[in-house]
Amino acid sequence: MALVNPDFAAELQAYGVDTALECFNCGTCAAICPLNYEHFPRKMIRYIQVGAKQQILQQAQDLWRCLHCGLCTRTCPRQANPGELILGLRRYVVAQSRRGEHV
Amino acid sequence: MVKKKKSLASPEPTPGGKVGVYVCHCGGNISDAVDVEQVCAQARRVPGVVVARDNMFMCSDPGQEMIIEDLKSGLVERVVVASCSPSLHETTFRNALVRAGGNPYVYEHANLREQVSWVHHGPEATAKATRLVAAAAAKAAQLKPLDPIRVEVRPRALVIGGGMAGLKAALELAERGQAVVLVEKSPFLGGQVAQLQELAPGGETAAAVIGELAGAVLQHPAITVYTCAQVEGFEGYIGNFKLKITRTSPESAEYSEKLERLSQSGCGPGEYVPFVGLMPAAIPESREEIDLEAGVIILATGMRPYQPRQGEYGYKDFPEVVTLPEFIRALAAAPAAGDTLVLHGRHIRGAALIHCVGSRQIPGIHEENPGGYLNEYCSRTCCAAILHAANLIKERHPQTKFFDFYRDIRTYGRGQEELYTRAAANQVLFFRFEAGEEPQILQNPDAKGSPLLVRVKDVLTFGEELEVPVDLVVLAVGQEPNNISDLVEKMKIPVGADRFLQEVHPKLRPVELSVAGILLAGTCQAPFGVGEACAAAGAAAVKAAAILSRGYVELDPFVAEVDLSKCTGTGACVEACLADGALAMVEMEVGGQKVQRARVNPVMCLGCGACVAVCPENAINIQGWTLKQFESMVDMIVSDEYLEQA
Repeated sequence: MALVNPDFAAELQAYGVDTALECFNCGTCAAICPLNYEHFPRKMIRYIQVGAKQQILQQAQDLWRCLHCGLCTRTCPRQANPGELILGLRRYVVAQSRRGEHV
Repeated sequence: MVKKKKSLASPEPTPGGKVGVYVCHCGGNISDAVDVEQVCAQARRVPGVVVARDNMFMCSDPGQEMIIEDLKSGLVERVVVASCSPSLHETTFRNALVRAGGNPYVYEHANLREQVSWVHHGPEATAKATRLVAAAAAKAAQLKPLDPIRVEVRPRALVIGGGMAGLKAALELAERGQAVVLVEKSPFLGGQVAQLQELAPGGETAAAVIGELAGAVLQHPAITVYTCAQVEGFEGYIGNFKLKITRTSPESAEYSEKLERLSQSGCGPGEYVPFVGLMPAAIPESREEIDLEAGVIILATGMRPYQPRQGEYGYKDFPEVVTLPEFIRALAAAPAAGDTLVLHGRHIRGAALIHCVGSRQIPGIHEENPGGYLNEYCSRTCCAAILHAANLIKERHPQTKFFDFYRDIRTYGRGQEELYTRAAANQVLFFRFEAGEEPQILQNPDAKGSPLLVRVKDVLTFGEELEVPVDLVVLAVGQEPNNISDLVEKMKIPVGADRFLQEVHPKLRPVELSVAGILLAGTCQAPFGVGEACAAAGAAAVKAAAILSRGYVELDPFVAEVDLSKCTGTGACVEACLADGALAMVEMEVGGQKVQRARVNPVMCLGCGACVAVCPENAINIQGWTLKQFESMVDMIVSDEYLEQA
């Protein structure tokens, strides 16, 4: 059970992530992603929306699976730019780990 | 009141003779199972039949022309068409008879599609088709030309309900030159729309919309408005409704809050007051009765917002849980500026919006409402209304966060999808729940935080359970029809399983009821938005104006007729009659003696035949369906004389 943190999306803006709330969770990005891996990248974007910081940090390795092929960004019906969101999350996770927050 | 039109110009058909039989292939629908040519060949051997023809589509122009030519040339005088169901094309072919200069009632229809080719195959299909056609021909030979029943129309419309739809219908009728009486139960005009502020999706204000409409209604010389009024007496039929309207001082508590608001506003009669409407006239001090005659009635009795049960989403358990209409009222008193919305002095940092409250309830999953019913329908307007409210607030108070809990988002109409897109741009955060796993509203254990906690199993987060602290929960409640069971009973109007009034046909006759002369406008029929209610009201008004301006209506003459040479005045028919006022015993002179005899009011008669069955003298018959005609049909069905020898 997780407490929703609606401020998290704003916190991420410093890392170039500012389109997460445009996403309406259709799953097109996960369907087209060549990784075909556990709702990636939609799952990460939903985690941003609800502010599930712990889940993002725990599953951070998945962020580096992304090939940055750009298919998700090209097909996103909401221009939520999923590829760029994943890159932004990488920057966020790296910054957290430098601060020693990443286990 | 009831006049018979002059007999149609055509010459009287020869009794018993000159029947034309026209058999349709229905493009294979019939001819794939029925040997149409054989049916024609055998039909020619039926007594009275002078010609039998077939056509691929008898309802097509060439098919109808064939019939018309035979009538015009004098070859046939009576017509049988053997085709699809009479409900589809009986009227088509009767009209063809009229176009040929004939009487439309010397026509008989045989159903070879629904009753034969769609349900039988092989030689039996052709055999059954042959007997049905022969029976129809035998009846056609017995038919007499009839005249439609012509009823004069009282030149006035009654509109019941003074909300958006009722006002619109009244105004449209008056602008078409018709006299209108508008009856409203409450002391106010404006209905449920007057309980709103800005209307989704366009943002027009209720004040402007109702103010303009009600103002025009009150100023129009052709419209009489009675508030605090109800229909107590109802009788009659299309063109001649007789009504008793009573005006009384309403139950004290019911409208006291609105009357209080009205007196505080300092507004006078006919001025719009938010969350009240307009009060055009003083509340009557004593009971008044008004007798009224009307040619048509428009029902615009409207809807009421669903009222949640105590404990439904924490309603009435927590003061922070409100319905959308309650929220809109509170919002009107809130400061318009400021980073955060402030309601009743409380800062609203986070607000939950919950969709489908009192709508789309599922048997076996949702609890029945106190009346023992479920609202299984979608109320259609709540998604747009609540997202519109969220957008307005978010754009005014950017620090107030919205959490939207939906089952499905149905922003289905013009300008509504944009509300949803705008809500995402306004950073409204969406959660999706399954039916039966509705969000729970709990007290927030964190005493320093917001008072409430919404717990949801969120489909969008892969079924994970999430909790959101909020200061306010707004329930997007659906629409329920107003309880008009008294009118339903008096007028005998059909009600759907969803308790809304039931139109004749959802596509082809969407504002008509099966009771002729009574029309539907607005949310008494189904959940509508304001624009849709107005469109329906406009359609009903035009339908009503068409009846009123024509001045008369014509009804099919398939009603009971008394043969006074046989009637002995037993009164059995009157006892058996199912329609109030259709049959009565009246005094008349026969052979210098005053006697009691049955008399039919053709306008009230349903043509059901209950009287025919009980008359010991066989003195009463349904025109166009007499016992003699039935007998000739049965004789022909059991006869083998016309069948070709195998």
